[in-house]
Amino acid sequence: MTARPSPTGGSRLRRIPSWQVTLGLALLVFGFLIAAQLQSNGPRAQYASNERGPLVETAIGLQTQQDALKAQILDLRAQITNLETKGQGSAAAATDLGLRLQDARLAAGLIALQGPGLVLQLRDSGQTVLPGDNPNDYLISAGDVRTVVENLWLAGAEGVAVNGERITTGTAILDIGGTVLVNSAYLAPPYQVAAIGPPDLFDRLSAAVGFRDFVRTRAQAFGIQIDFAEPGDVDLPAYAGAITLRYAQPDPSVSPATVRAPSSSAQP
Amino acid sequence: MNRRRNQLSLAIVAFLLGALVIIQLRSQAAGNGLDTLTTTELTVLVGNLNTRNDQLRAEVATTQAELAALQASDARGETSIGQLQVDLARVRAWTGLDPVIGPGVRITVTGGLHAGSVRDLVNELRNAGAEAIAVDDVRVEPNSIVDGPVGGLLIESTHLGDPFEVSAIGNPNSLTGSLTRAGGIIAQLAATDPTAQLIVTPVDILRLPATIQNLVPAHGKPRL
Repeated sequence: MTARPSPTGGSRLRRIPSWQVTLGLALLVFGFLIAAQLQSNGPRAQYASNERGPLVETAIGLQTQQDALKAQILDLRAQITNLETKGQGSAAAATDLGLRLQDARLAAGLIALQGPGLVLQLRDSGQTVLPGDNPNDYLISAGDVRTVVENLWLAGAEGVAVNGERITTGTAILDIGGTVLVNSAYLAPPYQVAAIGPPDLFDRLSAAVGFRDFVRTRAQAFGIQIDFAEPGDVDLPAYAGAITLRYAQPDPSVSPATVRAPSSSAQP
Repeated sequence: MNRRRNQLSLAIVAFLLGALVIIQLRSQAAGNGLDTLTTTELTVLVGNLNTRNDQLRAEVATTQAELAALQASDARGETSIGQLQVDLARVRAWTGLDPVIGPGVRITVTGGLHAGSVRDLVNELRNAGAEAIAVDDVRVEPNSIVDGPVGGLLIESTHLGDPFEVSAIGNPNSLTGSLTRAGGIIAQLAATDPTAQLIVTPVDILRLPATIQNLVPAHGKPRL
């Protein structure tokens, strides 16, 4: 008994030459890549002009210098800490001072931290800009990053960093064009906001009215993408910037005894 | 002939495919975002990076001097109590653990101001180089977030009255110029919070209190 060729799909597939299958697959990948390219361009406008080349090179060079200077500062501070620790055994007063200095540095964000917490990732919207909308509303702004950082503090975070820049008492978060400066370091999207805090930090943040408003007005309205992760341990880098004061000096009229005692817990 | 045409078609598609892959990879590798900035924005960025790098160089010099002093003490077999005290005072003042004194600006706020507007103001003061900030008698830390409705603002559980003051130590001229420039934060707040009035006054000597918070982390541990 011999089987007759079926008039349906199976036999037709056998009749398609292999080069057509290859060409079809290649065109499929071709289309996918075009879509990926268009998607990666996103809603951010790109500019090109003759003056921009040197400026971009200068900015990249300065950022590289900045990274090197920060690494140098961290290295010097580590050497200082080692020497201070080494000298502590020789006198009780030095030991006490060393411990207080360690606490002050921890409070200042000058020491890298590890602990429970969460990481939020903020990405530009993938949605098409609707007619009449401001395209900037579809991009992550400094205001968005600041809102997330502020809500993390309000939820009880005790340390926060954005793309590796530790947030300290002097940190400003600014827009330059559609992108963000933190500690005067230029950060490119996506923005990862890492925070260490109590084990229920995520629950507290999710329940916060301010954060829910942020999700409603930015993610739901414009498609800003917010992802969460709760790794076992979150690592925060040490602040590597300047802590030298030029104008503010310790107030000599206030003796340590009259300084208000610290409370036992941070806000809130 | 037909076979050759097929091969040619495949070669063209393969070439385009390769070109697209390269463009995609390059655009990802060069994903520093600088290509989204205008020439003016790039100029501002370069200025900002220059300023920051100058500050970092000064910090390197200060830290190197501190290290050299410690190494000299160590070589003499002495404890470095004096150096430790200097370092401790510097870090505590910068962090807000100790009260500080210095020139700066005082901003008196009357009328209703949104919590977000006060946060914007604090952010702008930091950007303008303020070394220490207080809202009324509360020293501002990274986690000191002004919250609450207009007329019922709170910072660290302290109610802000009407008027309230924001004080910042730093270069009075730079701070005043930065706040009051055309299109600056004061002008912006005049548009977003029309009922509020903000008066910026340069001050020769401001005294800012220490924070009452314990800022030493309870959950995070030093990663050495």
